[in-house]
Amino acid sequence: MLSTLAPASSPPVVAAPAPLLQVRDLRVHFHTREGVVRAVDGVDYHVNPAETLGIVGESGSGKTVSSLATLRLVPPPARMAGGQILFEGQDLLAKKPAEMAALRGRRIAMIFQNPATSLNPIYSIGAQLGEILMWHEKASRAEADARVVELLGLVGISDPGARLRQFPHELSGGMKQRVGIARALLCNPSLVLADEPTTALDVTIQAQILELLADLQKRFRMSMVLVTHDMGVVARMASRITVMYAGRVCESADAATIFNAPRHPYTRALLESMPRIDHSYTGAARRPLPTIAGRPPNLLNPPPGCRFHDRCPEAAPECRRLLPLETPVGPGHTVSCLKRGSEGIAA
Amino acid sequence: MGTARYIARRLIFSLCLILGVSVILFAMINAIGNPVEVLLAERPGITEEMIQAVTEYYGLNGSVTDRYFTWIWALLRLDFGTSIIYNLPVSEMLVTYGLETLKIQVPAILIALLVSVLISVLAATRQYSRVDFGVIASAMVGHSMPGFLLGIVLILIFSYSLGILPSYGAYSTRNPLWGSDVADALWHMVLPVGMLVFFNCATLTLLLRSSLVDVLRQDFITAARASGLPERRVVFGHALRNAFIPVLTYLGILFGLMLGTAPVTETVFTWPGLGALYIMAIQQLDYPLIMGATMVITVMLVTATLLTDIAYVAIDPRIRLG
Repeated sequence: MLSTLAPASSPPVVAAPAPLLQVRDLRVHFHTREGVVRAVDGVDYHVNPAETLGIVGESGSGKTVSSLATLRLVPPPARMAGGQILFEGQDLLAKKPAEMAALRGRRIAMIFQNPATSLNPIYSIGAQLGEILMWHEKASRAEADARVVELLGLVGISDPGARLRQFPHELSGGMKQRVGIARALLCNPSLVLADEPTTALDVTIQAQILELLADLQKRFRMSMVLVTHDMGVVARMASRITVMYAGRVCESADAATIFNAPRHPYTRALLESMPRIDHSYTGAARRPLPTIAGRPPNLLNPPPGCRFHDRCPEAAPECRRLLPLETPVGPGHTVSCLKRGSEGIAA
Repeated sequence: MGTARYIARRLIFSLCLILGVSVILFAMINAIGNPVEVLLAERPGITEEMIQAVTEYYGLNGSVTDRYFTWIWALLRLDFGTSIIYNLPVSEMLVTYGLETLKIQVPAILIALLVSVLISVLAATRQYSRVDFGVIASAMVGHSMPGFLLGIVLILIFSYSLGILPSYGAYSTRNPLWGSDVADALWHMVLPVGMLVFFNCATLTLLLRSSLVDVLRQDFITAARASGLPERRVVFGHALRNAFIPVLTYLGILFGLMLGTAPVTETVFTWPGLGALYIMAIQQLDYPLIMGATMVITVMLVTATLLTDIAYVAIDPRIRLG
């Protein structure tokens, strides 16, 4: 999976259509005993119709929380602290709880990281998937069963009719994740949020699941947000990529630009620290795999200035003082870095 | 048929268990000494001949093994002997007093179950809120409070001060409430059932709330919400059923031991139940009654445990018996 770094599809050439999802200045704060942790601290990104956006970042960069925020399901003690989430032009944060619930699973669906824990262990596959259809589409038990069988077949589960009566513990990890994908697609959503959908899986299964997701995304022309820490995964799946670090966006561009002409020092460091098949890490010609020295900052009291400054090879004195704002540096390409001409605010 | 074989195996095991308890019980009662001597000896006017005659009358003169087999054979024919103190057949007494105990215990467990489910949901869905802390604190108090204290407070308030509920007994000897025996029985049940509900509720709520808090944090709950299911369906359908699994064992014990766990309540409210009778039998060394009641409680507990294990299969598909 790491051998091919060529982006899956070419950048859009026509004028960008109105985005399906537009996240503006999203802030999610965790209210802990020690203080307020700013897990997502002013994040902007958008997803166009029928495209896959890859959100890349390391653990704790706020990528999972921001996708849960899209469904307004951030777990306590986290709270939405500001921003706008426009879905089909409507602000999700302004919606009533019932209106929001009607969108969940029907228009916006989610695929979870760990298939072993994201299915209810005490309900059969048919019962827990059928229930969603019966609720959203007022389908009868028989209609729901038929649709579930159809989708289980679509996600590559053999003998789907017999699976209806099986329980999650009777399926393998890969099968469970296929069920998770079928659950997300039940009501033909226009947006699917996939939160590290392959991280918990065996490497050989990972490739199959990614292939399936890419295929389904094209087939149903859905939009997908693929959250991952794996550059190899986004390289294969995403048409555009947003790189996050410590609760903020570093860089957003189409996949080719991110891989071939990254501007932000963090994006560059991230790409350099990927193992490459054409390099030797053993034997006489070996050289060490580059790593990013240091650790991500504590978001409880983030240091002033750019969040990346103390690990950044290019950090200048102003980087310790000013927080860079996202600035366009090319068509569809934005960077937040003072050294790339971003405007900075004291924060 | 794995399940049928499992149940058959468990039934055989349960029978062995009950037999084992009967041996230990018989040995312990014997260790106390000859009840006739304990009860009659060294009293004025009791002669050696009289003791001998009474011992023979109660069949206490054979060897220990002979007496054990006589007893167990009688048990199998549901003949529990005759109470020394009451001079009534023990089997009859167990039924009469046992039913009085069940009359307060079964409603108390069922009401407590319902109430604790509602309270636990209320608390667990608002974890660390004031409601939650209030529930935990009251459940802790209820869990640690001595049983008789609440009974006395209830009697003080509802019988002594307000005078609206009876403080003792299961029936009025004269003038039943509104001239109806049913209303009168229910009227007498209110305080003892209320006291039992409170204590059952305290423990059940502590268990169920913490189990529910754990389950509500699970991914499949977020997934159910992300699928757009309504919150009541997520909580009552998806979370509660999972949260119930660890509570089932406690519920089984509650049902299994209900004949023996009410002595405090029955004593405080002078309720004519098996718990109070059991204590009295022990104090007076009414050994046929002690042995009969102990065997009935043993059989109930063993049966309840077996039923709990079968209930696990019904509630959790991951468990296979075999």
